Amino acid sequence: MAHEHDYHPPGLQHQFEDMEQQQDSVTLGMWAFLVQEIMFFGGLFTAYLVFRSRYPMAFAAGSNHLDAFLGGLNTLVLIVSSLTMALTVYYAQKGNRNMQVILIVLTMMFGTTFLVVKYFEYSDKYHHGLVPFNGLNQKIKKHAGGETEKVEKSSLVLPFETRAEASEAKSETTAEAVHENPRGEFQWHDAKGEKIVHEAQKNNYLTPYERTGYFTNGEYDNAKFTQKVRIFFYIYFVMTGLHGLHMIVGLGIMLWLLVMAWRGSYTAEYFSPVEISGLYWHFVDIVWIFLFPLLYLLGRHFLAGGH
Amino acid sequence: MQSNTWIPLFPDQASSFAWQVDYLYFYLILISIAFSIPIVAAIFFFAIKYRETEKFATPDEIHGSTTLEIAWSIIPFVISMTIFLGGALVYYNQYRVPEDAMEIYVVGKQWMWKFQHGTGQREINELHIPVGRKVKLTMTTEDVLHDVFIPAFRTKADVVPGRYTTLWFEATKTGKFHLYCAEYCGLNHSGMGGWVYVMEQNEFDNWLAGGGTGQTPVEIGKDLFNNRLGCASCHAGGANQRGAKLEGIWGTNAKLTNGQEVKVDEDYVRNSILNPSGQIVEGFQPIMPTFKGQVTEEQLVALVAYIKSLSGNTNATSMSNPAPSTPASNTNTTAKTAAANSNK
Amino acid sequence: MQNVDAMNIADEPKVNYLTNGFSLRSWLLTKDHKRIAIMYLITVSAFFLIGGLYAATIRLELLTPQSDLLESGTYNRVFTQHGVVMVFFFLIPVIPAILGNFLLPIMIGAKDLALPRINLLSLYIYWIGGALTLWALMQGGVDTGWTFYTPYSTTFSNTYVMAVGLGVFINGFSSILTGLNFIVTVHTMRAPGMTWFRLPLFVWANYATALVMILGTPVVAITILLLAIERVAHVGIFDPAIGGDPILFQHLFWFYSHPAVYIMILPAMGVISELISNFSRKKVFGYEFIAFSSIAIAVFGFLVWGHHMFVSGQSIYAGLVFSFLTMVVAVPSAIKMFNWTATLYRGSISYDAPMLFAFGFMGLFLIGGLTGLFLGSVGLTVHLTDTYFIVAHFHYVMVGGTVLGYLGGLHYWWPKMTGRMYSEFWGKISAMLVFVGFNLTFFPQFILGYQGMPRRYASYAEELQVLNIFSSAGAAVLGTGMTLPVVYLIHSLVFGKKAEANPWMHPGLEWRTASPPPTENFEQMPVVTWDAYSFGEDSGLDIEGARERELAKV
Repeated sequence: MAHEHDYHPPGLQHQFEDMEQQQDSVTLGMWAFLVQEIMFFGGLFTAYLVFRSRYPMAFAAGSNHLDAFLGGLNTLVLIVSSLTMALTVYYAQKGNRNMQVILIVLTMMFGTTFLVVKYFEYSDKYHHGLVPFNGLNQKIKKHAGGETEKVEKSSLVLPFETRAEASEAKSETTAEAVHENPRGEFQWHDAKGEKIVHEAQKNNYLTPYERTGYFTNGEYDNAKFTQKVRIFFYIYFVMTGLHGLHMIVGLGIMLWLLVMAWRGSYTAEYFSPVEISGLYWHFVDIVWIFLFPLLYLLGRHFLAGGH
Repeated sequence: MQSNTWIPLFPDQASSFAWQVDYLYFYLILISIAFSIPIVAAIFFFAIKYRETEKFATPDEIHGSTTLEIAWSIIPFVISMTIFLGGALVYYNQYRVPEDAMEIYVVGKQWMWKFQHGTGQREINELHIPVGRKVKLTMTTEDVLHDVFIPAFRTKADVVPGRYTTLWFEATKTGKFHLYCAEYCGLNHSGMGGWVYVMEQNEFDNWLAGGGTGQTPVEIGKDLFNNRLGCASCHAGGANQRGAKLEGIWGTNAKLTNGQEVKVDEDYVRNSILNPSGQIVEGFQPIMPTFKGQVTEEQLVALVAYIKSLSGNTNATSMSNPAPSTPASNTNTTAKTAAANSNK
Repeated sequence: MQNVDAMNIADEPKVNYLTNGFSLRSWLLTKDHKRIAIMYLITVSAFFLIGGLYAATIRLELLTPQSDLLESGTYNRVFTQHGVVMVFFFLIPVIPAILGNFLLPIMIGAKDLALPRINLLSLYIYWIGGALTLWALMQGGVDTGWTFYTPYSTTFSNTYVMAVGLGVFINGFSSILTGLNFIVTVHTMRAPGMTWFRLPLFVWANYATALVMILGTPVVAITILLLAIERVAHVGIFDPAIGGDPILFQHLFWFYSHPAVYIMILPAMGVISELISNFSRKKVFGYEFIAFSSIAIAVFGFLVWGHHMFVSGQSIYAGLVFSFLTMVVAVPSAIKMFNWTATLYRGSISYDAPMLFAFGFMGLFLIGGLTGLFLGSVGLTVHLTDTYFIVAHFHYVMVGGTVLGYLGGLHYWWPKMTGRMYSEFWGKISAMLVFVGFNLTFFPQFILGYQGMPRRYASYAEELQVLNIFSSAGAAVLGTGMTLPVVYLIHSLVFGKKAEANPWMHPGLEWRTASPPPTENFEQMPVVTWDAYSFGEDSGLDIEGARERELAKV
């Protein structure tokens, strides 16, 4: 192992001959990893495409319960974080330690903002019985008197509640009050679903699957429609959940980068960890760029009404 | 009947396309042998002729030969195409159900097969059919995936929950043949099977007469239609009824309110009973109630058979078309009123 | 050129990778690809043993037509677990993770894989996935069939579907990371002069395998994750009762699981190219064609998944298209077969044990490949699918192909891996027992399958008993042939003859370093000036010297 030709640059691992080879290897490794990530999310996108093409109305109705403002805000946050990440790489290549540290902190702040906003969105679903997993919604019981009581109260509700109520009043989608939900089941109380289904039926928009998938008694059947909306929320939670998991992993990587950058490890010769972390970060952003329109925007116009 | 040899090497050939499958099989065996012999012979020949004579010898290098490579790419490709075409032809015959097939309804459940004949006989894990008649199985399942497999007929098809699949054959030989479930379905998968009895037509008629105490599906369906479910209150009678006239519609294309055309077949009728407003025929209102949960799969099968019979598609027995019994006076019935998923 | 001479026979180094530290820690935290390969060897062999015991149980049960040894519930668990263990924990990792891991860096003249820590991580992931699966098997196991078809797996089965599913899910990432590592290593770590067309075909085969690993495995991972969620939460997209589609599961599952068979067979094909070339002392005939046929198989392998669903109710057009593509994918395999045969022509062929395994591979893969044509021909498959014909077919490919390739490779590189020679006599006995036992076990199953004996049956029709007895008897022979190597290979570790650096006088880089190799593989960076498999002058090997040493021994 000990060799005579021993100028050993810092950060060069034993298996590589020089920094260039190491740089090439880790970059290619990250690209290959991202290819497998694409295939991983690809399975989910396939599931989304199949079911959206079968039940577009249910997906539109479900989509309407997502807060496009928050989703858009998060999109913006991530795009800006991509910028700060790109700048981090730039300053790492320049060997500018201070700018690296500042920009990594900024990137982490944006990443955290994203997750906080995501938390508010999730807890909105929690309070409205829109989490597709039974038992994972807020449990609400109705007393004999008719007053609703929240059986189980999330400790972190407060900052959100005002926000959710405000958005509710604004978005006019869920006008109703809290519904009884003693077991925390998935619930669907939006009358608009029925409206768009009838609208679509009148205008012959319904797909063959919808023609058999929404109706009972010759009429719109909320239970069956709810089942399809539940599939939408299932796909929504799985996709955004896995994306969120990737964000958390990304933040972990950022934390490690921050420590290393603080120590001044990255120089003009050795910056590949910053570069490949950047690739990962951009990839996670790009996934969101696809998720946002597919989940939040597509089909919203069905419910826009008034045209 | 299985062959009587000590070691059975070949299954009975008992359906009209079994010989096609067998010829394809023999063709492939032939190709395999024709392909293997030169290779195996070459391997043995080279292995013996060029065996090591001196340790670590360095024989002359041969890089390769593009001509040979092209030859042994193209020739196998051409051969494989003949196999593909042969398979495609046989598949086409297996896949395309003839129009005039006698229909038998099949419901699979863990772990039994329920058959119902056009004349009402029900059987469990046994299927009696006449020789020389085209038979079509219309199949569904109450729980998981199953698969009807009759080796002597060289055919099988998966049975999928929530939809109908079909399988057809024409037995060419009388006897008793194995019936299997070939898609793994849980605990007693290997017990889910039985026998197919192929009989001469007159024996089959006797069997029908002897065992046929039950009503035919068409009769059951008629009873359901007229009395028990009250379909007739809307679907029988003249053109002014709330529900579509069902006579003569089978196999035709129905025009839907959205302008699409749908073929009136088992799946369509089934869906129309279970999800009436899904596919409304032009000129009718979506007012028919669903019967989901009120009819069993077997009753559905009977209803489908009855509706089919209204278009003159009777199978083993001759059913007279029932006269539309209930007149159009039934005005104030419940929500369970009309329906119409089809007209002519 | 002096470089070549210097490396011709490496002096035995003071410290090799095995003697470089003896503590547990020096193994468990190693980044050395060779040590990781050895740890894989031990674990994968353990899984092979478990899977083999299940197989023995199956064959014992099938001795009689009734389900008397095992009741059907137990039998269902046994064949499912046989499949899960063999496919996910033996066949997929066996050659890439053991032989590939050990040899790929050495063959291209690198000190290690490009990402050694990722390599160690993949081993740990394999252990975690394997441990979870084993735990589930001990708790009561799983009875869905290794294919996990819905809705049985999501709704009806009462067994540990989720735990096993998660085990398979986790294990998938082990395979992804190995594939990723191979791709990077082949691209960036080749020694000076080691051009793409000087790569040994084993490297090409592993490269093609790695492509399938990173493109296919994530899809099955997400599919099984969705299945597990659906099973727990009763919401999802596969069960028709809750609005899902069971056929979608089959599409997603086979989109990976068909290419997965190429993950299993491609590396074995790579091994066979090495063996045939070495033991006929000839350059592989049509090197480029074999290399590209590996890539072609990897690519076309992604287009044929629908041939597992010919009777699932998919449309006639889908059936025809998938049948056509299946025929196309057969051609590259045929090309390999022809080229191997042509390699023997005018060679200098010796019958050492690895070569016997290679001959066995050629015979069995020939049958396995040809019966694949039967099953690709859609009209015939309607009759054959889900019968013992298909069981026989994929065992011919998976066992006759992968396992024989693996055993051949393991013997061939055993001197390099351990520094000891295996017993030539017992090696030959084992190769012949495996070949005979294998054919006796699985050939009758083709006949059984055409007779219409469905797979996954605990009890079967009485007239089929004779052939089943043949099959079970063959399994006993096969089992003996497979167990022998465990004994004599372990024996050789202590009592085996010390291996030279290059016992085969092969020009490949792995033979130009000591046996066993030092931790960094080469004393100095090799420079490659010869093509792969040049046994002649330009390899710079001291063949005369080797011959004299050989004579001196006698």
